[in-house]
Order: sequence, then structure tokens, then C-alpha cells
Amino acid sequence: MSEQSHGLIATFNTASGVYHAAQNVRDAGYKHWDCITPFPVHGLDKAMGLKRSLVPVFSLFGGIAGATAAMAMIFYTGAVDYKLIVGGKPFFSPIPAVPITVEAGIFCSAFGAVVGMFILCRFPMLYHPVLKSDRINAALDDKFLIVIEARDPKFNLAQTKALLEKAGGLDVKELEA
Amino acid sequence: MSTHAASVSTAIPATPAPAASNANKALGVGVAGIVLTALGAAVSGNVSGVAVSWLVAIVFWTAISIGMAMLIMIHHLTDAGWSVALRRQFEHGISSFKWLLLLFVPLLLATWLGKGDIVWPWGNLNHVLHGTETVGEDALYWHKSPILNIHSFSVMSVLLFAFLIWVSARLRKASFTQDVDGDVKWTHMNHATSAQSIALTALVLTCIAFFWVMSLDYHWGSTIYGMWFFSDCIRGALSVGVLVQLWLYVRGDFKGILNKKHLHSIGMFVHAFTAFWAYIAVSQYLLIWSANIPEETFWYNLRELNHDGSTNQWWYVSQVLIVLHFLLPFLLLLSYKNKITPSRIGPIAALILGTVLLDLVFNIMPGLKDAHGDARPFLSINLLWILTSVVGVGGVCSWSYLKSFGSTKLIPIRDPRIAECLTHHE
Repeated sequence: MSEQSHGLIATFNTASGVYHAAQNVRDAGYKHWDCITPFPVHGLDKAMGLKRSLVPVFSLFGGIAGATAAMAMIFYTGAVDYKLIVGGKPFFSPIPAVPITVEAGIFCSAFGAVVGMFILCRFPMLYHPVLKSDRINAALDDKFLIVIEARDPKFNLAQTKALLEKAGGLDVKELEA
Repeated sequence: MSTHAASVSTAIPATPAPAASNANKALGVGVAGIVLTALGAAVSGNVSGVAVSWLVAIVFWTAISIGMAMLIMIHHLTDAGWSVALRRQFEHGISSFKWLLLLFVPLLLATWLGKGDIVWPWGNLNHVLHGTETVGEDALYWHKSPILNIHSFSVMSVLLFAFLIWVSARLRKASFTQDVDGDVKWTHMNHATSAQSIALTALVLTCIAFFWVMSLDYHWGSTIYGMWFFSDCIRGALSVGVLVQLWLYVRGDFKGILNKKHLHSIGMFVHAFTAFWAYIAVSQYLLIWSANIPEETFWYNLRELNHDGSTNQWWYVSQVLIVLHFLLPFLLLLSYKNKITPSRIGPIAALILGTVLLDLVFNIMPGLKDAHGDARPFLSINLLWILTSVVGVGGVCSWSYLKSFGSTKLIPIRDPRIAECLTHHE
């Protein structure tokens, strides 16, 4: 094992096992940790104390930016930069600009959601220590893992290991970084 | 799943808390509203104003009932799971069509027995249009006369109601019978009913929008008008759905049934149809604005300007509609918290329900013109008649709902997807 340790990894055999263990880890005050499950476990986000995703915020600002940019572009081109009389209409009116504004708003909010997800998930992530563990294949099939990272301020090799074992974790080991 | 359904059925009382006294109260309020409106027609000497106000109320409650029927059919066609408990409330709501037909009959009678133009101007060939022409001298009227005459109109209106009564009875019977025998064939029957009827219902609601509302200014035509009416139908029904759910939750019936995710799901629906209404309203306005043809623009001019070019009250109503019917609910409903917190989604739903009524008032009341051909002002005694009419028709609809509510189980306990609904989860 190298000097640097990524953290501790523990295996659980059942979804309810990992669920209750997650509650224990949450209540112990850890921040940098994760559960790895082969399928979505209902309520696990709450058991882990996760807040709602920030993706909607990215989406909102994307939408505002897109809609503003579209309306501003139509105003600038029509009423400032290249005035043309079309169909006897005013150079600028918000009415015909609505469809483009809506389209651009929707496009940019969708784009904001995708970009936001990439940022929040820290994509693209080319390497993660857990993927080197020999347990990852089992966790894609029928086992559940909890990984507590060493960079967590509350991390203490002996105490964290005791916590995971008390919570029902099997085979608690250090994970190579 | 069967064990789950069994445990649910024991947990829920066979008949929900006494609804009969509530139903009678609602009927009392409704009758009071109807009597007041009738008094208004008899005493005020403003028969047209009262009759058109009555039309507003009929259209408002019919819209809500049609919206509920559409949502039930959409529920069945998408084989949805989350909305099973809510669907039962809508099934009670659509029991109102036969009463709405009964309440619509006075308008037909007024047209048959009066001069003909008490509500719709085309009912009287001697009705003077703006200027000097009468309806009988109007070439455009004769072009549209095959459908815009009192005979076709009456037959058509009764047929439209007959279809809605038939569809709602079928949807209700299948769902209520399933409570008793638990046979999955009723679910299949509702799938079939919905598949056959949803397009026809869309046609029916379009006809209602065209015949009852658009024909108030029969020179004007907008092919998207049915879509506009549909958006108000769905928004009205969804708002009532939110309010009924919250009412049942506060009363205790829905404790343990309604959860955050149900509110979130219906809240997303409310949000989506807020955007849909704006989309349709802008589309209609944009096309008429772009083409700028007098025979189309006059409908909006009527709601903006008097004949002397001064701004009338309807212009302010239109601006209020943009803010209260779109901007404000749209921005509020962006937030997840606002959708799942009862004290927030409740007022938002009430706001939307109120502005659905305002939208219908905006579309219907300017059909009443003064001697100059201007729309009669928004702020008038007619607001009182709209209020009494909405309370009157609404009381009868609520009575119909509560009567049905007391006659069945609170939720469809043997629906194949009831467990999915009760465990609806993020």
C-alpha cells in the first residue's frame, strides 16, 4: 500500500444495511464520502444527508442568459444596427421576438443543465481510486459499498474504521489513492 | 401487490367522513347564487348583461369539468401511476355535466323565447351591428348561418353535452365498479374509452369555444381558439385538483396518502400548462399582429381602444392577465419548494383558478357592446352578476362532486397501480 490512502472502503450485503450505515456516517458528521450501489436505493439521498442538486440553478441562469441574449440581439439588429421597415411594423417590438426568445431561453437552460451536471459531477473524471478496487465489480452486481475519503476533516483511520464496522460494514480496508 | 391493496382497503374507511351535509350546504349556496342571478335578470333591466355573465359561469365550470375529463383520459392513456388517487377526485368532478346542461338551458330558452340576441347577436336578424347594418343584411352572417342559427346551435349544444355526459359516465362506472370486484378488465375498458374519446373530447371543447364564446363576435375567427380554451380547461382542473388534495389532506382523509412527490408532480403539470397557456395566447396574438388584417385585429382593438382612440378598461385587464396568468405563476412555480409546500402551492393554485375566470371574462364580456360599438367597461354591475353566477353554478357543481364523493371509496383501492401511487417517490 502506498503512503497516500484515498480512504476507507466497506462492503454491505443488503440495501437496508447500506441505508442504515449511511445514516450513521451522516450523523457522525462526515462530508467527503459516498455510497456505491448497483441500483438506485430509494431514500438513500436523505439517509446520506444530501441536499437537492444545484443543477436547476445552472438551468435557471442558462435560461435567463439565453432569453436576454436573444431579445437583446433582436433589439440591436432591428432597432440599432440595421434598421429596415418590414411590413410597416416598428423596428422593434417584443411581440415577434417572443418565439426566438423562448427558443433561446429553453436551449440555454437545457445547455445550462448539462453543463451544470458536468461541473457538479466533476466530469470528465478519467481516474477514480474506487475503480481500481477489486470490489467494484461486485458493487455493480449485488454488493453495496461505502467509501469515506481521507481528506474528510473528521477522518481518523482507527475511529472511522470502528464506525464503519459498528455500522455493519464488512471487510473494512484502506483504499489506495 | 394484492396484499398491499388489501392492507390499504382495511386502513381506509368504507365511506369517507360525512359528505352529505357538506353537499347540501353547497347546493344551498348554489341555489342562492342562482336565485340572486335570476333576480338580477328580472329586476336590473340588464338582461343581456346578466345572461352573458351567466354564460361566463357556465363556461368556467364546464371548462374545469372538461379539464378533469381530459386529465383522466391522459392518465389512462399514459397508464400513469402517480395520479391514481387524484384521478378519483376528478371522477367525482366530472359528474357535473348533466347539471351543467340543465343550467345551460336557460340561455337557450332566452334565445328561443326572447328577441334572440340576448346572448349571441346572430340570434336576431334585426340585431344592429356596429354602423348601420343588421345581422340579416350581413353577407358574412349568411355565409356562417348554416351553423350559427338557433336550431343548429341548440342541437349542437345538447349533442356536445350528451357526449360529455356519456364519456364521464363510462369513465366513472368502470372505475367505481373496479372498487367492488377488483377486475382488471375495467382498467382496460378505461384505456379503450380514453383512446376512443380523447380526440373527440378535444373536438367537443373546440366546438364549445367556437359556438359559445367565439360566436359572440361572429366576424372574428381564430383557429387556435380551441387550444386556448383547452389550456384554460386543464389549468382550471389542475388548480381545483391541487386545492381538493390540500383540502382532503387538511381534513385528514389524505393523511398518509398525499406526499411531497404527489404535490411536486401535479405542480410540474401546473407549471407546464402555465407555459402552454402563454404559448397559445402569444401565438394567437402574434399571428393577428403580424398579418394586421382589420377583420382579425378588431377583436383585440375592441379590448384595447374605444372608437375615439382612448384606452378602455379591457386593456388593463389584458396586462393584468399577462402578469397574473403567466409571469407570476411561472416564476413562482420554477421553485421546487413552492410546489411542495401546501401553504405556497395552495395560494398559487387559487390565483390560477381566479385568473382562468378573468381570462374567460376577458374573452366573453366585451361581446357586450354599447351604442358606439365599444366594449362595455370591465368595472360594472356585471361583475356582481358574474360573481353570483359563478357561485350559483359552482355550488351546483360542488354539490354534484360531494354527492359522488360520499358514494364511493376515497381512492381507487383496487386499481392495479394504486400501490405505485401510494409509494410515489422521487
